[in-house]
Amino acid sequence: MAGVGYQGVTKRFGDVTALSEFSLEIADGEFVVLVGPSGSGKTTALRLVAGLEALSSGNVLIGGRVINRVAPKDRDIAMVFQDYALYPQMTVQQNLAFALKMRKSPRAEIEQRVLQAAATLGITELLRRKPRALSGGQRQRVALGRALVREPQVFLMDEPLSNLDAKLRVQTRSEIKRLQEQIGTTTIYVTHDQVEAMTMGDRVVVMRDGVLAQVGSPRELYEQPADMFVAGFIGSPAMSFTAVSATSNGSGRVTLSRGDLRLEAGAARELPAEVIMGVRPEHARVWDDGTRLIGPISGRVEYVEMLGRENLVGVAVTDESRLVIDADADFGPRPGDTIAVGIQPGRIYLFDPNTQKALGRI
Amino acid sequence: MENIAVQLPVTEISAPKRAGKRAWRRAERLPGEPRRIAYVYLAIPFLIYAAFTIVPLVQSFDISFYNWDGITPGTWVGLANYKSFFADPVIRGSYLHTLVLIVFYSFIPTAIGLLLAALLSRMRIHGLTVFRTLLFLPAILTDVVLAVTWTWIYDPHGPLNTFLGSIGLGFLRRPWLGDFHFALPAVGVFGAWEEYGFCMIVFIAGVMKIPTSLYEAARVDGANAWHEFFAVTLPGLRYELTVVVVLTMIDALSTFDEVYVMTGGGPGTATTVPAFEVYNQAFLQGQVGSAAAIGITLMLVVFAVSYGITKILEPRGE
Amino acid sequence: MNTASRAQVVLNYALLILFTFLAVYPIVGVFLASVYPPHSQPTSISPPSHFSFHNFVTAWTQGHFALYFRSSAIVAVSVVAGSTVLSILGGYALGTMRFRGSKVIFYTFILGLIIPTEATIVSLYYDIRALNLIDTWTALILVEVSGEVAFGVFWMRAAFMSAPRSLIEAARIDGASTWRLLWRIMVPFAWPAILTLMVLTFADSWNEFFLALVLTTSDQHLTAPAGLQVFSGKYTMNTPLVSAGAVIVAVPVIVVFVLLQRQFIRGVLTGAVKG
Repeated sequence: MAGVGYQGVTKRFGDVTALSEFSLEIADGEFVVLVGPSGSGKTTALRLVAGLEALSSGNVLIGGRVINRVAPKDRDIAMVFQDYALYPQMTVQQNLAFALKMRKSPRAEIEQRVLQAAATLGITELLRRKPRALSGGQRQRVALGRALVREPQVFLMDEPLSNLDAKLRVQTRSEIKRLQEQIGTTTIYVTHDQVEAMTMGDRVVVMRDGVLAQVGSPRELYEQPADMFVAGFIGSPAMSFTAVSATSNGSGRVTLSRGDLRLEAGAARELPAEVIMGVRPEHARVWDDGTRLIGPISGRVEYVEMLGRENLVGVAVTDESRLVIDADADFGPRPGDTIAVGIQPGRIYLFDPNTQKALGRI
Repeated sequence: MENIAVQLPVTEISAPKRAGKRAWRRAERLPGEPRRIAYVYLAIPFLIYAAFTIVPLVQSFDISFYNWDGITPGTWVGLANYKSFFADPVIRGSYLHTLVLIVFYSFIPTAIGLLLAALLSRMRIHGLTVFRTLLFLPAILTDVVLAVTWTWIYDPHGPLNTFLGSIGLGFLRRPWLGDFHFALPAVGVFGAWEEYGFCMIVFIAGVMKIPTSLYEAARVDGANAWHEFFAVTLPGLRYELTVVVVLTMIDALSTFDEVYVMTGGGPGTATTVPAFEVYNQAFLQGQVGSAAAIGITLMLVVFAVSYGITKILEPRGE
Repeated sequence: MNTASRAQVVLNYALLILFTFLAVYPIVGVFLASVYPPHSQPTSISPPSHFSFHNFVTAWTQGHFALYFRSSAIVAVSVVAGSTVLSILGGYALGTMRFRGSKVIFYTFILGLIIPTEATIVSLYYDIRALNLIDTWTALILVEVSGEVAFGVFWMRAAFMSAPRSLIEAARIDGASTWRLLWRIMVPFAWPAILTLMVLTFADSWNEFFLALVLTTSDQHLTAPAGLQVFSGKYTMNTPLVSAGAVIVAVPVIVVFVLLQRQFIRGVLTGAVKG
């Protein structure tokens, strides 16, 4: 059991900088998810802890010990690969036992740990089979089992669910989370899927272009995104952005306007003349005089997506942007109709158009 | 040389393109990565290879500059052995014979293979495995065995003459391998027979990889069989064509076993080929330096031909 | 893709069958000739009136084919074993490890694909003689292994490079040494490629004539093709006898080919781009 630390870690591949001045402290027993689009450096960060890549500069620590030069096998880590990397010619049992065999553990202990891991993952009846005779989900479990058997200080998982079908993915991710809570081993989990990140992580690290964009609990990232990238990346369906002008009305109120759009709300701080406002679909709905909403904003319906339990309606509110709103399943406007939209108070996020950093909410 | 190494099926030989060479040198060592141990693994294979292939090659190169009978010390003659290629009628003749053999070993089987593959491109072939096995047999059996067989076939009282007699072409009968004019073509026919099965199989396999949609598009555009062949089949077989032509040409250039067994280079020197001359000059005539030069030259010719064919048939930008 | 007309299909099959028949016909001929009564002279490719296997006995005993066969077997098995193991070792290093000089060493091996025996045979003879190894199996084995290793290293390197990187990484994290990784994981993974290599090497060695002709002289050490050549020179008038010898030499390759034809054909088709 140990924590993991990144201190100013930079990794370059030739002319490409995959990771830049990355610093992060992961506590012992924590489940941390590294999330971001491809090329964000999340996999590189993971592989640096594994020892499968060498640092260009900075330090990586496990349990307070600097392990930059330590060979992977001596770092006491276990890794689950995206393609599972099961040894094809060995049975499941041999796959699970391999690492312990390499360490010359006593036969009895190997057997016991293998059986235990198999039981935990429900793959005991598969022990005699070879990987090619297993389904994708089963192989995934064997890959997990291989990591479990090692009883390492850190689990490293590289997009372990991305090769599974959607249903299996949902099922397995909760299993993995539960397993980790039960065993309590520090886990670093890499994914490009923000839903996985939000549902599984104790803390989530959003990465972009080799840089750490924001780190925090799922709640924090959702409620207080640090910039437009995080705001647009976290949460599904994604936030809608609109460029507007902000005019102060004195007495702490501000008017946001662009074209026909005109909103009034209370603002706690000075705003630049131009801002970008962001609204999540779940905070925007059809205008209703009775409810306390900011608006109304009038716009033309562009499309309607019927999801079963709700409809998502894309509404053009200015010449260049649209707002996606959440509506009841039986609300079915047609494209071209004009409707009025309102936003929950406190749920308009404002961003600086130049730096893209968050300015606050109104 | 690099071009030749590149002509390999991508499925099996995909080099992982890591950061470029310069970047590699600056790249950090992975902790615990195997490095020096590679030399241990390579030690024995490389040593044996160097000792019995590279070293003799260098030595041959050296010997080729001498006039040597193998027993008494040799005398330095510089490039005389190489210059004799144009002067010595036997050596010149051996290469001319090879040109003839190239037609038989390479062009004819390639043509047969292409023809059959083109015809068979429009249909599915049942029992392909059986055909494949049988067609491959001549290519994989020991040359000496096949040469002995054909020596009998070409025998004055052998099957070929008997057959010719039985169909009323008795006047064509002759001692094929002892005939000044027909010995070389006789060896050629043997080569064509040995190679065409291989060519057929390669081309048929290649044709099966051409998407049917290309043929359909051509048909819709109004192409007939000729057009289809030149517009779809032939371009689609470009890679296979290169492989087949290169391999069969190398076979033609390196012919030894069958010449030794069937004709011994004769009658006279009517069927001698470079590889045979290497043997002949080194071990029968005491002209070791000359033999070495022939060997080196043959190697260069083979290399040039392979490279040239590859360049012609598969220009860059594929 | 059945777009050919009925007549075309028939014609195509006819041609295919014709060419296949012609390819096999001479081989059938020599098999038939071998079972003719001794000292008779078959003049066409046809079965004899009386079958006789006497020629095989004669060839095997008086014809020394028992010896030739033994020599070929010893040499072929040694060459296959030796060159396969060495190719695995070399291909493994070149295919999975990064080290200084790997490119140079690799290109040196590639060179071997282009160097024909004719270019080295002259020096090889004198070198072998200097080592007092003329007319031994050892000489043949060493020279053949040297030649096969060039291709083999190239072939195995490609096979190992096609292994998923994650497999090697997983093994490294699990603590496997290079030796364990090679024999426990990489070799099983690349087994089809290894089998193909072994089949090709066997055929190459069994069929090798030029080297045997130059490096071996006595009946004790001549390999089968060279032995057959000597034999046919001695008994030119006795076709059935010579044919029996030829069949004896041909059978092992045919057997290996039939049993492992998938590997064989794959190897010849994809890998035999020597030079």
